[in-house]
Amino acid sequence: MESRKVIFRIKRFNPKKDERPYYKEYEIDVPKGMTILEALQYIKDNIDPTLAFRAFCRSAICGSCSVKINGYPKLACKTQVFNELDVYNTNILTIEPIDNMEVIRDLIVDWDSAIQKMEKMRPYLIPDPEVVPETLDEECKVYPHELKKFDKFTDCILCTTCYSACGIVRVDSNYGGPFPLARVYRFAVDPRDSLKKERAKIGFSFDMWNCVRCNKCADVCPKHIAPVDGIMKLRGLSIEIGLRNNPGARHVMAFYKSLQESGMLNEVLLPLRTKGIKGVLENLSIGIKMILKGKAHSPIMKPIKEHETLKEVMKRAMEVE
Amino acid sequence: MLQYDILIVGAGGAGLYAALETSKRKGLKVAVISKVFPTRSHTGAAQGGVNAALGNVAPDSPEKHAYDTVKGSDFLADQDAVELMCEMAPKIIREMEHMGLPFSRLENGKIAQRPFGGASFPRTCYSADKTGHVMLQTLYEQCIKNNVTFLNEWFALSLVHNGERIAGVVALDLRTGEIHGMRAKAVILATGGHARIYWKRTSNALGNTGDGPAMALRAGVPLKDMEFVQFHPTGLRRTGILVTEGARGEGGYLINKDGERFMKRYAPEKMELAPRDLVSRAIETEIMEGRGFKDSEGNEFVYLDLRHLGKKKILERLPQIRELAIDFEGVDPIEEPIPIRPTAHYSMGGIDTDIYGRTIIKGLYAAGECGCVSVHGANRLGGNSLLDIVVFGKLAGEDAANFVAENSFIPFDESEVRKEEEKIKALFDNDGKERLVDLRNELSDVMTYGAGIFREEKKMKEALEKVREIKERAKHIKVYDKDMTFNTNLQQTLEFLNMVEVAETIVLGALERKESRGAHSRTDYPKRDDENFLKHSIIERTPDGDLKISWKPVKITKFQPEERKY
Repeated sequence: MESRKVIFRIKRFNPKKDERPYYKEYEIDVPKGMTILEALQYIKDNIDPTLAFRAFCRSAICGSCSVKINGYPKLACKTQVFNELDVYNTNILTIEPIDNMEVIRDLIVDWDSAIQKMEKMRPYLIPDPEVVPETLDEECKVYPHELKKFDKFTDCILCTTCYSACGIVRVDSNYGGPFPLARVYRFAVDPRDSLKKERAKIGFSFDMWNCVRCNKCADVCPKHIAPVDGIMKLRGLSIEIGLRNNPGARHVMAFYKSLQESGMLNEVLLPLRTKGIKGVLENLSIGIKMILKGKAHSPIMKPIKEHETLKEVMKRAMEVE
Repeated sequence: MLQYDILIVGAGGAGLYAALETSKRKGLKVAVISKVFPTRSHTGAAQGGVNAALGNVAPDSPEKHAYDTVKGSDFLADQDAVELMCEMAPKIIREMEHMGLPFSRLENGKIAQRPFGGASFPRTCYSADKTGHVMLQTLYEQCIKNNVTFLNEWFALSLVHNGERIAGVVALDLRTGEIHGMRAKAVILATGGHARIYWKRTSNALGNTGDGPAMALRAGVPLKDMEFVQFHPTGLRRTGILVTEGARGEGGYLINKDGERFMKRYAPEKMELAPRDLVSRAIETEIMEGRGFKDSEGNEFVYLDLRHLGKKKILERLPQIRELAIDFEGVDPIEEPIPIRPTAHYSMGGIDTDIYGRTIIKGLYAAGECGCVSVHGANRLGGNSLLDIVVFGKLAGEDAANFVAENSFIPFDESEVRKEEEKIKALFDNDGKERLVDLRNELSDVMTYGAGIFREEKKMKEALEKVREIKERAKHIKVYDKDMTFNTNLQQTLEFLNMVEVAETIVLGALERKESRGAHSRTDYPKRDDENFLKHSIIERTPDGDLKISWKPVKITKFQPEERKY
């Protein structure tokens, strides 16, 4: 059977003992079909019992074994060694702990901070007495189209992979993070929940507007959830309930208004509409440079030819949501 | 010393439901300890669904559910317990639904139900193929809501009692490596199953190592019906990872080398929807008689074919299965059949309890797969394990809360903590003549060959000897990792020692049960023998260290034993 010699370059660190992290290399013969997790266990069983990593279900449903493989966070259990070798065209795989959380030992990180943040965001159903029957003789009615709105977000296994890859988590300690915010959205659109509108306020207080939509959380999620979609929809809910007096909401409204007016984005008015005079002053120097380079357009824009059709499309899109 | 009114060991469905139940009582100090973070528990891997006679698709009743369960159990289940479980099922399903559990729905907004093996109606409520996952998440969410105290990544080592009453447990904090005495008025064991004993051929998570039953055994608490280990018919060929019974429920076919739907020979009416024991034996027989396939690694298998279901149905109802097949077998079930073989899956036996989860030690409870109530008897029906854990988790929680209201703490002998410290110290000082990985694989082979799907006296006697020999050799396993921060080398060694201990009870029970019933299939005694064996086996460790077997009658209420035909 096909096998390949592979060097696993594993980041080791025991904060209680080591001054700084270091890399240790292990060369093993990997048969076709072996996963990264099986390889780690092989190394632990046969070469170095001191290698520490987490693992449990080994079938991508428990979320224990997220690690970085050649810089990219993945579940070790569902990642085939051969695939990785082919993708990176190498025989060396670097395995490191995921980011944005402290290392407890080797590949094991402390996810308490991420979880504690989620716990503060009330990630549980608070039954709406008008929908949820008082007794256990009846079930709530939830229609398939209602379930569809939040069903995908209930796939989350709390593996914290998205959290580890998020740039905003790194710079804003108050930011809720991808999976916790997506869970807030999950409850916001569950017809059985009584907090509903309040959920958007929770997202708001955990800086959901700071998400820059880089889409990394969607790229790395092993369950293909795209937490960023939940965050965007939660933002939409916040505007719907009138939480509009903030730069994020005003920015969105400015986009919307501009499309309604002309079908094009009016970048000259955008700073004014988003941040007021302050926004204009902040962007003044770049604005002047744009004018000098001939990149700026007039604040008065003529509607595009298909403007009416576009407005109709936007209207229909809003109805569908 | 840490002190709680109630200490729950394990945070799967049973542990979390018990925690929820106790969190409703004001003023109780309750803690849940778990080897993992709660939502990592193996309940999350259950895919197919949970049974309840809601009657949303076809008329149904708890009584019919009870009859199917008793028949499926090959009449070894205690019928009072089964009736209680089936009676509570619709209410507890609705209770979880009211907590926000996202069940799949019918067009009329009610909970959807699908057919499952051994059931006479579409009775299984489900959430696509992630039922256990959403159940675990929902229970965890509600525990957060109710401020349940969790001690995550703690490993329970031993039970402390005075022969009559429980005093608490000794546990290892995996992060720090510290060993703690944990005093409690009541302890609920909810540590899950032990099919990891069949290491190389099991659907179970890495930690399903029988810690609860092993601790109970060491503490002199009896285990029940340990010989009954369920092999799930459809594990992936290489890894043993499970393909849910829902795949057959949705209409999947089993196909042998001749392209034949061979189930027609074994269960002409039920076909692929016959109960698990029957389907597992059918597949194993096909393979033994040369009608299976063989791959280059030597794995023998048959195919589970879903292609005729069509892309839409597969994507909608079985999305996880499709992904598992792609990730672990390189096969897309939309285009190719999935290679499968039976895999060790569920432990019907466990710590002997009554319907409230009580053991012979007052204040010590067991619930879920580590316990044996018994509602599954000799063979568990699909969709009944998720039901078992919530029903009996709830009942154990309720009863424990009542118990602690009327009872005070008893003295906790602190020398028990030092005993565990010394045991662990000895593991560091062993000579290392034997390796953990070798013994673990050997145990797996011994059990698969000697106490697997088909069993016979001679092989089992050999297996018993070998298990005892492995147990002796295990005294030489050395823990090389000396650092106490997250010492997974130590953890895996302790887990293995638990597995060997439990393995011995499985083989002994199987050897003494000279009949075929449910998952226990003896080629030398192919018939069920109600006259001599309509009874539960009870195994306990005597003070001098030997295993002692005795028997206990089965509780029969409504359903008289009859031949099981499908």
